[in-house]
Amino acid sequence: MNNRIREFRARHDLTQDDLAKRVNVRRETIVFLEKNKYNPSLKLAHDIARVFGVAIEEIFLFDSE
Amino acid sequence: MLFKSNFVLEIINNKIMKRALIALAVSLIVLVTTALWFFKVEKSITGPEVLTFGIIIVLVGFGLYFAYMRFTGAQRGEPPEDELSKRMLQKSAAWSYYISLYMWVFMIWLKDRVTLDTEQVLGAGILSMAVIFFLCWIVIRIRGIRNE
Repeated sequence: MNNRIREFRARHDLTQDDLAKRVNVRRETIVFLEKNKYNPSLKLAHDIARVFGVAIEEIFLFDSE
Repeated sequence: MLFKSNFVLEIINNKIMKRALIALAVSLIVLVTTALWFFKVEKSITGPEVLTFGIIIVLVGFGLYFAYMRFTGAQRGEPPEDELSKRMLQKSAAWSYYISLYMWVFMIWLKDRVTLDTEQVLGAGILSMAVIFFLCWIVIRIRGIRNE
């Protein structure tokens, strides 16, 4: 699974710290997500999508495997 | 005085600070106990003892680092734990459990072949478990948790 968090964060002019606070996680979690080193829970994916006002599948890209 | 008592109350009521203080207290107790053992030994200190002391210092350093990260995170208003940190700890615990089983089998095998007291074997085993957990945590941090 890949994601476009960095891209959406830049578009909304949010820092990693801002996004972390909005979705109530540590900044480290956002760093791991952006490096594709962590697959978030459905709740966290939903919360992140809600911050950016888009559907989950626009941010998180599921590959076929 | 009022400032000090407010600070103490804040620590008592704050979950993050409590955990950071527990990590700090445990690290300091281990450090002081190790230092006492190190300086009270009458005979000359051997290589394995220096190695044990070094490992303990590294683990204490990790504990202090953990407490520091918690403290600075709390100052930035971060939650004490989130889903990533919990999963990392759970996975480290699971990995280290399996590896520790093999380590204890090795210890049992070793005990018949070298002259070691039971206390020394137990001490080495417990210390090894801590080292294994620490290494598992580092590997998981580097690798990340994906596609599971």
